[in-house]
Parts: sequence; C-alpha cells; structure tokens
Amino acid sequence: MTKLLGVAWWEYSEKIKSKAFIISLVLLPAVVTALVVVPTLFVSRSETGAKHIGIVDETGLYGPALAAMLKDRLLLPDGSPGFPAEVFSQPPPGDILPVLLSIDSMVLAGRIEGYFVLSSPVGDLVEAQYRTNNPANVRLQEKIVPLLREAVMAVKLKMRGIDPGLVSEFGQSVRLRTFRISPGGVTQETAFEQTFFSVYMYMMMLFFIILTSGQLLVRSMLEEKSSRIVELLLSSVSSEELMAGKIVGLGGLGLTQMMLWGSFAYVVGRISGMAVIPLPNALLLGVYFILGYLLYAAVFVTAGAPLSTEQEAQQVTSLFSLGLIVPLGLSLPVMQDPESTLSVVLTMIPVFTPMMMAIRIPLGLPPLPEIVASLGLLGLSVILTMRLAGKVFSASVLLTGKRLSLRELRSIVKNT
Amino acid sequence: MILASDLRKRYGSVLAVDGISLRVERGRILGLLGPNGAGKTTTIRMLLRIIPPDSGSVLFDGEPFGEAARDRIGYLPEERGLYRKSRLLDTVLYFSSLRGMKIGDARPKALAWTDRLGLSGLVNARLEELSKGNQQKVQFIIAVLHDPEFIVLDEPFSGLDPINQTLLNDILGELRRQGRAIVFSTHVMDQADRLCDDLCLIDGGTAILNGPLDGIRAGFGRETVSIEFSGDGAALDAIPMIRVVGRYGNSAEVVLLDPSRSRELLAVLAARLEIRKFEIRTPSLNTIFLESVRGRHRSAEGGTRP
Repeated sequence: MTKLLGVAWWEYSEKIKSKAFIISLVLLPAVVTALVVVPTLFVSRSETGAKHIGIVDETGLYGPALAAMLKDRLLLPDGSPGFPAEVFSQPPPGDILPVLLSIDSMVLAGRIEGYFVLSSPVGDLVEAQYRTNNPANVRLQEKIVPLLREAVMAVKLKMRGIDPGLVSEFGQSVRLRTFRISPGGVTQETAFEQTFFSVYMYMMMLFFIILTSGQLLVRSMLEEKSSRIVELLLSSVSSEELMAGKIVGLGGLGLTQMMLWGSFAYVVGRISGMAVIPLPNALLLGVYFILGYLLYAAVFVTAGAPLSTEQEAQQVTSLFSLGLIVPLGLSLPVMQDPESTLSVVLTMIPVFTPMMMAIRIPLGLPPLPEIVASLGLLGLSVILTMRLAGKVFSASVLLTGKRLSLRELRSIVKNT
Repeated sequence: MILASDLRKRYGSVLAVDGISLRVERGRILGLLGPNGAGKTTTIRMLLRIIPPDSGSVLFDGEPFGEAARDRIGYLPEERGLYRKSRLLDTVLYFSSLRGMKIGDARPKALAWTDRLGLSGLVNARLEELSKGNQQKVQFIIAVLHDPEFIVLDEPFSGLDPINQTLLNDILGELRRQGRAIVFSTHVMDQADRLCDDLCLIDGGTAILNGPLDGIRAGFGRETVSIEFSGDGAALDAIPMIRVVGRYGNSAEVVLLDPSRSRELLAVLAARLEIRKFEIRTPSLNTIFLESVRGRHRSAEGGTRP
C-alpha cells in the first residue's frame, strides 16, 4: 500500500508540475472567462458614458416623442440620460441628401454615436434608418428599437384621442417564471438557460478531465515501457501496485483539476447570481466522477498497455474521445426530460452513468432506487474492468516493439 | 544466500531459459556471461521476480522470494531509461521510496553518493540534461542507495569512460567487502576476469559453465599459449597441433591440442614468424568463454569438445 501511494504521489507531483497540466488547468477557465465574463464587462463599461443620438425627422411627427423617451427611459446609473437625443431641424422635402452627409460627418468625427432617420413613405407606415459607423453595437439598438416602436404608437394613439399612458400600462409584457416541484415538497425556481449552461459546462469538464487523465495514463505507461524504466519499477513493486498507483495518482490530478475548476465556477456563479448546486448533490456528483474515472482509466489501461508507440496511443485515445462524445450528443433529450425511459436506460449503462448523472442531478435528484442501482452497476463494472486491466497490464508491460495479438491477449487473460 | 534452481522460461515457441541453477554468496561476485540472446536478461528477470519462471524456484536466505525481499535487492538494468523531464535527486528519492526507504534516510545517502560519483552539482538538473555516462551513474545510485544485500548489475561498465570504470571497479570491490552478494553480467571479459569470484556461462538458455572461477580455470588446464609476433598471423591457421582461439593483430591465444608438444610448437612458430613472446599460462576468461561456446556449438554439429 505504501508503495502504491509512492507511485501515486510520484505521478501526481511530477505531472502537476508539468507545463502541459498547468496550461490545461488555466485554459478552460480562461476560455470560459473570455467567452462569458469579458464581453459583459466591456458592455457594462460602455454604458457608463452618455451616448449622443441624433434624429432626423422627415415625418415631422415622431422625432420629439422619441427624443423624450430616450431622455426619460434610458438612464445611466447616476440618473442622467444615457442617450441624450437631438432632433435636427426638419429638412425641406426632396432635398435630404446634403443634410445626411453633414450629419454623417458628425458621426465619423465622433460627436454623436449614430442617428435615426424617420420617414413615412406610404400612408401610416413609419420607416426608420439607423446610421452609424458602429453597427455592431447590437445592445444599443436592442434598447432603442422598442422605444421607437412605443414612441410611434404613442403619437398615433394621441392623434386618435387615446391616452398613451393607458397603453403602456396595459401593454406590459407577460413574464414567465418556471418552478420545479420535487417529491420532497421543495419548490425551486429554475432558469432553463442557466441550468443548461452550467450542466453543459460540467459535462465538458468531466469529458475533458477523463480524456486528459486517460491520455496521461497511456502516455506514462508508454514512457516507462519504451525507456525500460518499467523493468526497474517491477523489481521494486508488483505490477498491480504500479498500475493502481498510476490510476490513483492521475485520478488525484483530475480531482484537483475538478476542485479548482469547481471553486472557480462557484465563485463565478456567486458573483453572477447563478443557481449553485447544493453540497450533498455536489458530493454525489463527486462519487460518480470518481467511479466514472476509474472505469475509463481501466479501459484506457486495457487498451493502452499493449501499445508500444506514441502514434498508436494517439489513435486509441482519439477513438475513445469519439466514444465519449456520444453521451454529450445524447445530453439534450435527457436534459429536456430527465425522467424519461431513455434517460433512465442511459443512466443504467455504466459507461454513460457519470455523464447522465452529471445532467440529471443538477436538474433534480433522481429517485433513490435509480441512484443505488446505477452506483451498483457502475461499481461492479469498475471492479471487472480493473481486473481485466490488471491482467493485460502485467502481461504486456515488459513487451516492447511487439504488440500482442488479440488472441494472445485473450489466452493471457484466461490463463492468469 | 541466493539459490536459484532449475529456472525455466518459455516465450511462445522459444525456450529462453532451460534449467539454469545459480548460487550467489554474500561477499562474492558472480559473473553472468554469455553471447547475445543466450538468456542472461531472462535469467536476471526471474532472479529478481520481475517475471515469474515457468518452473524452478529462487530462494533468498532459504526463504521463497516474496514481496518483502524486493526491498533487499538492487538492480541496474541493461537497457537504461529514466524519466527525462524529472530531476536527479527527485528521481533517486522516488526509487528509494519504492524500496521502502524513508525520505529522511534516503536524502543524505543520495547526496553522499552523488558527491562520490561527481554529480553533486547536478542534483537539481533534469535527467535529459545529463550525459549518458552521468545518467548511468544515477542508475547505479538507484541500484545501491538502499544498501541492498543482493545487487544485480547488467552491463554496469558500458558507456563509462576509463576513469569512471576504475571508480566503479573500486566501488564494486567495497560492496563485496561489505558482504553483498553481487551478480553482474558483461560482454567485456577483462572486467569479468578481474572482478568475478564465480562464473556462470550461459549459452542457448543453459549454463555451460557454473561455479568458482578458479575451479573452472583449473579445469581448462595449462594448455593455453599466448603468443606475440611479427609477420602474417594467418600462418597460425596452418599449424595442425593448435587451435587458434583469438588473433588480435600481432598477438594470439591458441590452445595446444597435446600439452606435451610445447617445445615443438615453439620451433614450428619460429620457422614461420618472428616470435617476441611465447607464454604457457592458465586460460583467460576470454579463452574459456570462446572455447566453451564454440566447443558447445561444435559438439552440437557432431564434432568433439576439447
């Protein structure tokens, strides 16, 4: 046992210092940060300063109403108008081009962010152009377009003698909130997009960790095999201790990665106000993670130990990464209906269990019999594949240059 | 103290080791010699329990070789590899921990050994930065750091310069005086000649010579003649009363088929070559090796053994 832990500590401490690990550790959070946090930061910063908007009103009807709404409704945190608007004098009909050109130059000079041109080509129809040198600022347009619609409506209502205040009172959109009810009587508000996002992130994390640990495992076996260090190792420890030590050490590495990312996600979740998964559920997920890792590690050892070149190893690991994509692809139907027959059946297939539980537990704890059954099946398959892995490992670890044929492997496994 | 009896190992259709027995005593060095592919490495692996023998047994002080015995052995494998990216001292301490040593005990010993072998400035270097000879010294430290009672060194001298060969030679002498049981395999007969107390010569998976070197030498008699000469050494081949064991430029070792005809041989030689030295002596290990292996192959082909 001491030697097993010795091997485990060596694998752990050597790999955790490696550049590849540190990069992979930082990479995922960095990508997430880059994708989610940074744009938000930039967007909120851009709203700290007032943006001047121009309005050219060919209709002579809607401009002042829009300007008033922009002034009253879109405020900066300090209460001052976020989009102070200026209505340019109504141009003479048919001679609009010179006016537009002169205002364009104001936009290009940075004096205003952009401007609306309101016209009424046919009857009641109102057409608006927004002219800017920065059309990518989608959020600004998202905010202003509803106001424009409201301003046009208010003016039209007023012309027919109806109080626009009533309409804005009645016209408020319907808000939908979703609640999950669970057997314990706990009702929890959910936000599907958030849940989807966090579940997906968790699955990606699981996928990434299992794959990198598996790759490290295969590579470490190959390194020792091709450099013949394994000969020295096997004179000090038994092949079972060596294999188990490697699996434990690299598993610890994956767990470290998981915990660091988990705490990162927790902090981000807290800051952004996302729902955070309760601790007992997180611990249960941890159990599934460990068992899932052990299962995949055993499979990786069984497939990787008989290999002798880096190239073969890469082929095998990429084959497995394809296999791991299957549950990722099946995740959407399971997320949409976690209690469906499909979901339950997939949960009971040991190679899919950890991924499926990664989806289902955050959505609501599955019934106890399902948890017990899936843990039992997963545990049993871990034991069986570990045994197989041990036999293949000790049979092939001293052989280099020569790959065992499947038939030879089968006879070794049978005879030991 | 190490007693291996009747070890056998088959790989598929190849019988790699066919009934080898060995005895390694404390305070003695056993040379394991044999041509390439003779079964030396397989024998060593079975001695060290790296692979189990198909049949036969290994006893360590009369006890079957169990897990606990792993901490009492030291091993320098022939094909040497180390973790390239790891640091010297870390690696040495790791392997000593796998032999059951505590870090606190291992560290000062490791530093003393690196100092003695001239590696003290490199303890924090990555192993891939070391020269081949230095890597080999690291492996030697790994083999002896935990004061093993039984040490197996597979080709320990290869890759070392003469200065370090001498150093290793001295260290092996010390280890012998400290009462360790040492097995070392080599292709370099001079080294084996100087160092070994016992000999096990393996060919084709069986031990063709086995026992104390003195006894083996005595068994070969005093019929070996060492000659130094000027002239064309090919002339030796035409002399029927001798068999040429080795010819090295201007010197040769020959076996006199009839020991009583040494004067006659000197006369024949003097007629054909300019003889500078003519010495009748105990056979060198080289001669014993070549004679035994060739003799075995000759008898396998139907000839007679000398």
